[in-house]
Amino acid sequence: MIQIKGLTKIFSGGTKALDNLELSISEGEIFALLGPNGAGKTTTIRILSTLSGFDSGEVHVAGYDVDRDPNQVRCAIGVVAQQTGVDYFLTGRENLVLQGQLYRMKANEIQARIDELATYFDIAQALDRQVATYSGGMRRKLDIATALIHRPKLIFLDEPTLGLDIQSRRGLWSYIERMNQEFGLTILLTTHYLEEADQLSQRIAIINKGKIQTVGTPEELKSSISGDSLMLSFAEVDQKVGMFANQLKSQDFVKDTVWEGNNVYVYVSNGAASVPKIAELATAQNVTISTMSLAQPTLDDVFIKYTGTSIESTEEEGGDEWWKQWAGKGGGGKWSKKWQATSEDKDSSGDDKNTSEKSAGGDQAQQWPQNAEQWQDKQQAWNKEGESTEGSQQQWPQQKDKKPTEAETSKPESEKPKADSKAANENSQSWPNQEQWGGNQGEWQNKNWDQKQSWPGKGKDSQQK
Amino acid sequence: MLADTWHLFNKYMRISIRMPLWSLFSLIQPLIWLIIFGQLFSNMANIPGFPTQNYTDFFLPGVIIMTVLFGSSWSGVSLLREITAGTVDKMLVSPVSRISIVLSRLLHSAAQVIVQVIIILIIAAFMGAQLNYSPVGILLALFAVLLLALSFAALSNGFAILLQREEPLVIIGNMMTLPLMFFSTALVPIAFMPEWIQYISVINPINYAVEAVRAVLVGEYDFAAFQKGILVLLVFTAATMFWAIRAFSALRD
Repeated sequence: MIQIKGLTKIFSGGTKALDNLELSISEGEIFALLGPNGAGKTTTIRILSTLSGFDSGEVHVAGYDVDRDPNQVRCAIGVVAQQTGVDYFLTGRENLVLQGQLYRMKANEIQARIDELATYFDIAQALDRQVATYSGGMRRKLDIATALIHRPKLIFLDEPTLGLDIQSRRGLWSYIERMNQEFGLTILLTTHYLEEADQLSQRIAIINKGKIQTVGTPEELKSSISGDSLMLSFAEVDQKVGMFANQLKSQDFVKDTVWEGNNVYVYVSNGAASVPKIAELATAQNVTISTMSLAQPTLDDVFIKYTGTSIESTEEEGGDEWWKQWAGKGGGGKWSKKWQATSEDKDSSGDDKNTSEKSAGGDQAQQWPQNAEQWQDKQQAWNKEGESTEGSQQQWPQQKDKKPTEAETSKPESEKPKADSKAANENSQSWPNQEQWGGNQGEWQNKNWDQKQSWPGKGKDSQQK
Repeated sequence: MLADTWHLFNKYMRISIRMPLWSLFSLIQPLIWLIIFGQLFSNMANIPGFPTQNYTDFFLPGVIIMTVLFGSSWSGVSLLREITAGTVDKMLVSPVSRISIVLSRLLHSAAQVIVQVIIILIIAAFMGAQLNYSPVGILLALFAVLLLALSFAALSNGFAILLQREEPLVIIGNMMTLPLMFFSTALVPIAFMPEWIQYISVINPINYAVEAVRAVLVGEYDFAAFQKGILVLLVFTAATMFWAIRAFSALRD
C-alpha cells in the first residue's frame, strides 16, 4: 500500500527532516509511526499525502507515485491532520457535503455516505449544528468522517488523539480499530503516545531524527528488551538513596539503575525474584523504601533503547515552516516544560547528586527525566490493568494511596504536571469502580442536551427523547 | 475547476451570510470617511474649477473605491487563518484544483465588497447625493468595483503566502490602500494636485478605478474615461490574479 524508498527531505534551513527513510506498509494494516516531536512523523505524512515535496527517494502510495500522479494519490487517501481541518462555522453536514463535492461525488452518493458515516461515528444528532459547538472528541470524529467520505483505501491519522481526554481517546481507538476490521482500511497513524501505538497498531516503526530505527509488532519490540523494571520510591531524598542506588547497580541480579529524585528505577532480569533481595539490601542499608512497584517492559523501554535520546532533546517539528512549529506545540510544550522542571530540580540539588549521576553512566543521566515520565505513565497503565487482570502484577498495598502525593512532590513547580498528577489521582483512585467516569458521561450528555436546547428547532426533539 | 470554484465559493458565502455583521464590519470606515470628509471638504466645491456642485457627489466614487480597498485587502488574513486552522491542508489533500481555491476566495471577497458598495450607494442616496442612479451606470460601476476587488484580494492573498505572517500583511495592506488612495483623484480633482502627485496618479491603478466609477456615476457619462479605466484595471487584475495563483500553487514545502 505504501512504499517508501530512500526518502530524504531537507528543509530550507538545512535540517535533514528525513534521512534515507525506508518503509513499507501492506494493505489492511494499522501501522504506527512512533517518535518524539521533530522525528519526522508529520513530514512523512505530509509527503505521503502530497502536501510536501521531498529531495530524493521514491514514494508510492496506493500504487501511484506521489510525485508523478499526485491527484491519483489524493483520490485514494484520506488525511486527518493534527489540526482539525473541519470548518468551525459550518455545520457538520455542510462540512461533509463540501468534502464530498471536492472529491467530485454525486449529490445522492454524498447523502448516502453521510448517513452511513453519521451512524457509524454516532454524530447524527449533531450533524446540523455548527462545528464550533462540538466537543473536541466530536470534532475529531467529524474530521475523520470527512476524511472517509470518498471511501479511501488508506487513511493517515496524524496524532489523532492529541489533546483529547482519556475517555474520548479510548473511544477513538475503538473506532480506529473497527474501521480497520470492518472496512479493511489501511491505517497509518503517528503518535508520541506509546500506549496508543501499543494498543492500536499491528506494526510499529520507531522513528527518530528522520530515520526508522526499528519496525515490528509491539510484542516483537517489547521482547527485544528482556527482563522487568522496578520502581522504588523513597520518602525523602538524601545521599543514602543515591548510595543505595549505587549499591544496587553493583548487584549481580541488577542490570541497571537510574536514580531520579526520590525514585530509583531498577532494571532486572527477574522482577519477582529480585524484590526480596532489594528489600533485604534496603534493610541492611537502613533506608526505607516507601513504595515498590514492578512491571513488564513496555514500549517506553523499547523507545529509549532505539531512539537513544530523550523525547525532549528534539524539539518542534520542521523548524522553518511556521505552521509546523505551531502544529508541534501541542506535544512539544508539555515535554519541554517537564524537562525544564526536572532540570531545575537537578541543578538545585547540589553535589551529592552529581556523584550518583556519574555512577549511572553519562548517557543514562540524560534519560532520567524521561524515565520519570514514563514511569508515571506506566503506573497509570498498571492501575488500569489492575481492573481486569488483578494479581497479574505485584502491587504494594500502600501504592495507591501514596501515588497522588508522590506525583505532586516529584514535579512540584510547573502547572502541567498538576494536570498529570490529577490524572494519576483519578486513575489510582477511581478506576476500579467506574463511577467517576459514569458521572462524567452524564455531565457530558447534559451539556450536549443544553446545547441542543439553544437551537430552537431541535430542543423539543431531544427533550421528548 | 468551475464546479470546484463554485462549491468553495458557496462555502465562503455561507459562512459570510451566517455572520453578516462581520462581513459588514469593514463598511464602518468608509462610512465615517463619507460623513467626515463630506463635511470637512464641503467648501471645496466653491473653489472655481471644481467639477461638481457638491463635494459629496465628487467624493462618492472615492468612498466606493475605499470600500473596495478596505473590504478586499484583508482577504489574505483569513487565508492565513485558514492555513493555520488546517482547512487549507484539507483542501490541498483533496483532488480539488488549486486554482479554484484561490479563485473562490477572490470571488468571495469581491462578492462581499459588491454588497457593501450597494449599501454605500443606498446610504448616499439617502444623504442626497446627486448621482446617475441608472441601472446601466450602476452596473458598469460595479464592474469596475469587481475588478478592483479581485485584484486587491489577489494582492492580499499573494502577500499572505509570501509573508506567512499576519502582522506584516496588515502593514502592507495599509500601505497599499491609504497612500494610493491619496495619490488618486478620490479626494481631490487632478487639477488641485501638486505635479508630482499627478505623475504618481498616472501609474496608480486605484486612480483608474476611481475615474472609471466617476465616469459612469457622476455627471454626464464619460465612456472614454470609463473604457480607459477598465482597460487598465483588466490588465492589473489579470496580472495580480495570475501572481496570486502562482504563489498559491507553490505553497508546498
